[in-house]
Amino acid sequence: MDTDESKKTPLYDEHAKMGAKIVSFAGFYMPLYYKSIIEEHLNVRNNSGIFDISHMGEIIIKGRDASYFVDYVFTADVSKIRQGDIVYSLILNEKGGIIDDVTVFKFSEDEYMVVVNAANTQKDFAWINYIQTGFQKKGKDVSVQNISDAIGLLSVQGPKSRDLIYPLISDAVKIGKCGLFDFKFKPKNIKDLKHFEFGCAEFKDVNIEAMISRSGYTGEFGFEIFIPAEKTAVLWNYLLKNSHLSSLLPVGLGARDTLRFEAALPLYGHEMDETINPYDAGLEKYLSDTKDFIGKEALKNIKNKEKRLIFFKLSGKQIPRHSQRILDENLKPIGCIASGTYSPSNKFPIGSAYISDSGVNASFLKNFFIDIRGNFEKAEVVLPPFHKHVKAGG
Amino acid sequence: MIKSGSFYFSKSHEWIGRDSNNKYRIGISDFAQSELGDVVYISLPEAGKAYKKAGKIGEIESVKSVSEIYAPVDLKIISVNSKLNDTPELINQEPKGAGFIAEVEISNDSDVEGLMVEDAYKNFIADSHHE
Repeated sequence: MDTDESKKTPLYDEHAKMGAKIVSFAGFYMPLYYKSIIEEHLNVRNNSGIFDISHMGEIIIKGRDASYFVDYVFTADVSKIRQGDIVYSLILNEKGGIIDDVTVFKFSEDEYMVVVNAANTQKDFAWINYIQTGFQKKGKDVSVQNISDAIGLLSVQGPKSRDLIYPLISDAVKIGKCGLFDFKFKPKNIKDLKHFEFGCAEFKDVNIEAMISRSGYTGEFGFEIFIPAEKTAVLWNYLLKNSHLSSLLPVGLGARDTLRFEAALPLYGHEMDETINPYDAGLEKYLSDTKDFIGKEALKNIKNKEKRLIFFKLSGKQIPRHSQRILDENLKPIGCIASGTYSPSNKFPIGSAYISDSGVNASFLKNFFIDIRGNFEKAEVVLPPFHKHVKAGG
Repeated sequence: MIKSGSFYFSKSHEWIGRDSNNKYRIGISDFAQSELGDVVYISLPEAGKAYKKAGKIGEIESVKSVSEIYAPVDLKIISVNSKLNDTPELINQEPKGAGFIAEVEISNDSDVEGLMVEDAYKNFIADSHHE
């Protein structure tokens, strides 16, 4: 275990008590698994799982010019969404490289919340602050606040997750305070929320008011629950005490990664980083063509894709790992692994890779190899997601 | 001389022991399997091949990580536990039983004296892996 200055989420003691295997990730001591990555993974696919994702960052953007500001900082059409809606977006640097991928929650024309990757919270906050300073100098009214430490965030995912959440909440459909948040609109009932919408509810018995969104990172139906940091442990234990409602298991970061990867959801640092542009990553649908945003100018000059993201499965049993080499039929190196893991749903290894040669046609990639510590393991391109029916690629 | 049913451990978390048929077996410790998590692949040593103490005999891969397996003493592989090819999870379930790695021959019984008995190994883990 490294002796760095990793932080603890409000649930660190609960994870330790449950005997979780703790690792340092993105500056936090986090549970990798409680008992078994595979068992936790399959339980999310079949029943439900609860994740501590309090390490993620939350940044509030407020002010009369907040809508104008978010449209400039984020690539997606953020201000166009309705109050109570969420949008997935990228943040680009001026060269078009990806600083982070985020979700933005709209409370009003004057107030948004950005949920960012834990490893990028400081970087994103510094960047957004820098842009805000420029706005302020031009007399615009925007303020930016990093509220990450004040927020506990739980994720409940899986086809049965509603059987846990619905009976334990009473909807608080009202305008006004919702825990740490201020709703300036009348939110929907939690049961009526569609994917990427949020509302407010109170957990009965424990009297905890929570902002609840229909969102997640597993490819399953699920919720993310935002509460004051100091109430996180009470809610965590309350939900686990009611685990019989949905065959709920606590799930660590190990299964969070295998679940997101089977669903082909990109992970910052693997499928994206500041050297990868949105076209390479196949994320161009999150670029607005109706407004200006940081990085848009640079993207105009990127005509040809330099790299392409492919997904593959292996016929052998060795697991491909980040940054291993991809070789073509003639063993010529053509790229590098972005993500690689074992797929618990399929019981075989799967991965994604950036192939550098834009001339390489995926149909030639029926037979290629991954250099796994000197063993050339045969792989085949497939079309994700991996957790439904795996289709042959091309 | 290794008593039947007793296990001796290396600092790299392999064990060697003698089964009820007086045959020597090697494997990885319960602590090692719990650190690895779900084992999904193992590259087994070669039957008939001799390995020096601390020489690499194979690789073991879990969902999250990969580690090397070393010979706990000078040894020769008699046969490998080929069940691990299709059911590597046996290593998680019974690391000192059905999840053994290979049956081996050792030249000197006294070689195991440099290893740790169960209690000493437990103390070794407690000392070196406190968090």
